[in-house]
Amino acid sequence: MQVRNILLKQDEMPRQWYNILADIKLNPPLGPDGNPVKPEDLAPVFPMNLIEQEVSSERWIDIPEEVLNIYAIWRPSPLVRAYGLEKALGTPAKIYYKNESVSPPGSHKPNTSVPQAYYNKVFGIKKITTETGAGQWGSALSFACAQFGIECKVFMVRVSFDQKPYRKSMMEMWGGKCVASPSTETKAGRDALARDPDTPGSLGIAISEAIEAAVSDQTGQTRYSLGSVLNHVMLHQTIIGLEAKKQLEMVGDYPDIIIGCAGGGSNFAGLAFPFVLDKMNGKQIEIYPVEPAACPTLTRAPFVYDHGDTAGYTPLLPMHSLGHAFVPPPIHTGGLRYHGMSPTVSQLVAEGLFEPKSVSQLDALKTGITVARTEGIIPAPETTHALAYVIQEAEKAKQESKEKVILFNWSGHGLLDLGSYDKYFTGSLENYILSDDVLAESEKIFANYPKPQLLKSR
Amino acid sequence: MKKKPDQLQRRCPRLGGPVEFSYCRTCEIQNQPCFKIFDCWWEFFDVVTYMKEHLPEEQFNKLAQKKTKPKVVSIVEMIREIQQCGRNK
Repeated sequence: MQVRNILLKQDEMPRQWYNILADIKLNPPLGPDGNPVKPEDLAPVFPMNLIEQEVSSERWIDIPEEVLNIYAIWRPSPLVRAYGLEKALGTPAKIYYKNESVSPPGSHKPNTSVPQAYYNKVFGIKKITTETGAGQWGSALSFACAQFGIECKVFMVRVSFDQKPYRKSMMEMWGGKCVASPSTETKAGRDALARDPDTPGSLGIAISEAIEAAVSDQTGQTRYSLGSVLNHVMLHQTIIGLEAKKQLEMVGDYPDIIIGCAGGGSNFAGLAFPFVLDKMNGKQIEIYPVEPAACPTLTRAPFVYDHGDTAGYTPLLPMHSLGHAFVPPPIHTGGLRYHGMSPTVSQLVAEGLFEPKSVSQLDALKTGITVARTEGIIPAPETTHALAYVIQEAEKAKQESKEKVILFNWSGHGLLDLGSYDKYFTGSLENYILSDDVLAESEKIFANYPKPQLLKSR
Repeated sequence: MKKKPDQLQRRCPRLGGPVEFSYCRTCEIQNQPCFKIFDCWWEFFDVVTYMKEHLPEEQFNKLAQKKTKPKVVSIVEMIREIQQCGRNK
């Protein structure tokens, strides 16, 4: 029998989180007055013990015993050798994934919701508010609050609330109160409803409601909680990578490539940060955050001779191209995709320690289906972005005949997100619809260029 | 048959579920577009020209020039707004 799961014993769980702020420099966020945000500015929404973690530059931070006790419900999570996928791809690469879908809410999110609930409890907080989009974070926080006897209020964007009723049920199972946002419970919600009673809501409104509910509680016993982006969230998630390191040591491997899907950055950071220090110290390791995109080049563009640069200085090369003069709208440049990304992840991208990649939504979902059929687990739609890039790297390893070690994060299961797969099966999602007129216009540039021959090696 | 922009669907990276373009162009307060609208849709069709044609010039410029603030900063701003609002009651 092939041993798929590499398991740590519960008492081998890491006892400290790794804080990347000890090893990188970040520009401080500036408040509305132009001065750096001070810890006390955040006190109305976060307990001071979490704010201390947010700004801490201690490299290692102890995980409280009470948090470890709750982590032990599902941690250490298995490190899995993806034999089924390797076989299906015929790759010499060894593919490992950290299976974070085994947590009670089905994702990596409770790695931070549990410590956040704990620190709030210690600080004397009785109620936590939050917003949720798809409901993963809302259910993770409801689960965590239930463990520490704290009230949980979740403002769920109306459009998702209607699309995913079981998420609400899940939150209620753990005692969380989930309301559709905009709600009548806050001024922000009432104002939005007064403007448009049928509004489907937005994450922006839901955040406003959650923060208002915390700040306006005159008893001072309510705080707000955020499931991504912030430094303390990234810190808590590092348990993923710390466990993975120990598990890989058990089988004598070390990753050549690390891959994670990156929305706000927390599951990716959780896996990657503990390996960053090794990379800083000279270890050869490629680290790729992957996010959604729909690059049309190979699917729609003609095979032509073109310059590799927009100015046309480089020699003409045969390539699939929409024309070297074709560039995304100017306002799209400058890493706009990284809006809403964790500052620590952004910083490491800027320093060249991470190299961002993107995959199309259809490729991602298609990969999700392939992997569900080989590895058995139905991945969350976010996870499929990482998976799609894993496959690209595994194919590359095959072409190069290299036995690379690829490690990625299986951030969650997709059992409550089947709507996205349904849309894929019914063909409702499309990758790219650049109009024929625009295509024809962009291709005019090739009129006077030589035409490459379509050569075949075999 | 070619779909109209409003009928196009994609997975919203913020909400985690499928949404139509019509949602993205009206979902914010006072039916304003989502700040990520260009980011999410430019590869599907010429969303910049579309928004330019459908928004008043001032609103379009505001959207095009919008810079996302760090999360911590937007939280601090929201706290101050709410506190100010409470004081003015």
